[in-house]
Amino acid sequence: MDIILQKISEYLQKGDEEKVFELTKQAIGHNFDTKEILDNGLIAGMNIIGEQFKKHEIFLPDVLMAAKAMYAGMDQLKPLLIKDGIQGMGKIVLGTVHGDLHDIGKNLVGIMLKGAGFEVIDLGRDVPAEKFVDTALNEQVKVIGLSALLTTTMSVMKEVISILKVKDTTNSIKTIVGGAPLSKDYAKEIGADAYAYDSANAVESVKELIGVN
Amino acid sequence: MSEIINFNISEIIPTREEILREQGVSQGIEVKEKINKLILKALDIFKSKAQPVGILSEISIKGFEEVFIGEGKNAKDTPLENIFPQADYLALFALTISKKVSETISKFFKENDFAIGSLLDSIATLASYKGTKVIEKYFQKSIQKKHLTKQETTVLSYSPGYCGWHISGQKKLFQFLRPEKIGLSLNASFLMTPLKSVSGIIVYGKKEIHIFQDNYPFCLECKTHSCRARMKKLINQ
Repeated sequence: MDIILQKISEYLQKGDEEKVFELTKQAIGHNFDTKEILDNGLIAGMNIIGEQFKKHEIFLPDVLMAAKAMYAGMDQLKPLLIKDGIQGMGKIVLGTVHGDLHDIGKNLVGIMLKGAGFEVIDLGRDVPAEKFVDTALNEQVKVIGLSALLTTTMSVMKEVISILKVKDTTNSIKTIVGGAPLSKDYAKEIGADAYAYDSANAVESVKELIGVN
Repeated sequence: MSEIINFNISEIIPTREEILREQGVSQGIEVKEKINKLILKALDIFKSKAQPVGILSEISIKGFEEVFIGEGKNAKDTPLENIFPQADYLALFALTISKKVSETISKFFKENDFAIGSLLDSIATLASYKGTKVIEKYFQKSIQKKHLTKQETTVLSYSPGYCGWHISGQKKLFQFLRPEKIGLSLNASFLMTPLKSVSGIIVYGKKEIHIFQDNYPFCLECKTHSCRARMKKLINQ
């Protein structure tokens, strides 16, 4: 790996957005392949961050500072990715279910997924069940991510999954659920394809769901 | 009759350790200096944006029966329906940290300043818990002063959306308490805005009345079982 890409990864891990911005600019200036900058610089750095977070070697603020640095680099790469028609890891629809206004957990999952190279369509909070499914079908997404913080709104997740089963005739869209009151058993009970206990685990689970490493 | 309670920010501001724990950092673990600086920055922002205010209104057991029934969506059996009839006194309450704090958190996330946004969110969450404790104590003291009651009684609050009290119970609670006076509103899903707000019932009475077995059907879906820590704290008081 070229030293400049390695440095992007290192400064990203340190949460130094100014350096990441500058180095990404340099890499583009040196005609590095856009996908190479993305994969071997930015995503490589975020992957290390994700691993360290999973092992409790670093903490949420470290991850979020790294994510900010990632976005600083991504801001420059985005026009090139679009121009070159480079596809990311896949599209994901994300939102907090109807009746629930808590979005901090969902936001963290979105940040981590974007950091891993996914395109995230964030529907926000208090999202009606139909909207998840319709957006997923219209945007040809691979996974729907559902978040809930209240026990009373957890049932909406089941509603989304039921609607999806009817509308997604090819059965190609997977579902992942998460939120403080949820459990693996509950996810299984409502027919979700995966359950994520935190944001780092969400990335791992989504990758597993769509069969990428 | 309801009473507006203005808080001093110093009463509700969380400590650095509490903020770190809320962020998932175990006690005793040292974090980078950069994170410590961010915590201080988030605390400063909180101090400048927070305008904590509460509202409290005493209610009879009979009056609360009607509030608690709400829209008729509560779980079949709940701990609170066994607790509140044994209370000496009850009060409905609500508090909010301020709209400005919620707006600032959203602004940070929109601008990709995730770490500070997340820290501010943790601070506001912890402050709202602490605010609830301040109101509980305020109610306890005012009852003791008014009725010259025994000191061994205790106070504990319960909120709609938890332990079988359906979130739709907010509707009746709002009708009785009118927390619009402190800038709170309820949406169609019975959630309060600003988001960093708490509402519920404060139960004043013997501590024994709050002790229950967490083996209700809805307890199976609960991952936090925070009632255990609350009861343990009461027993040790």
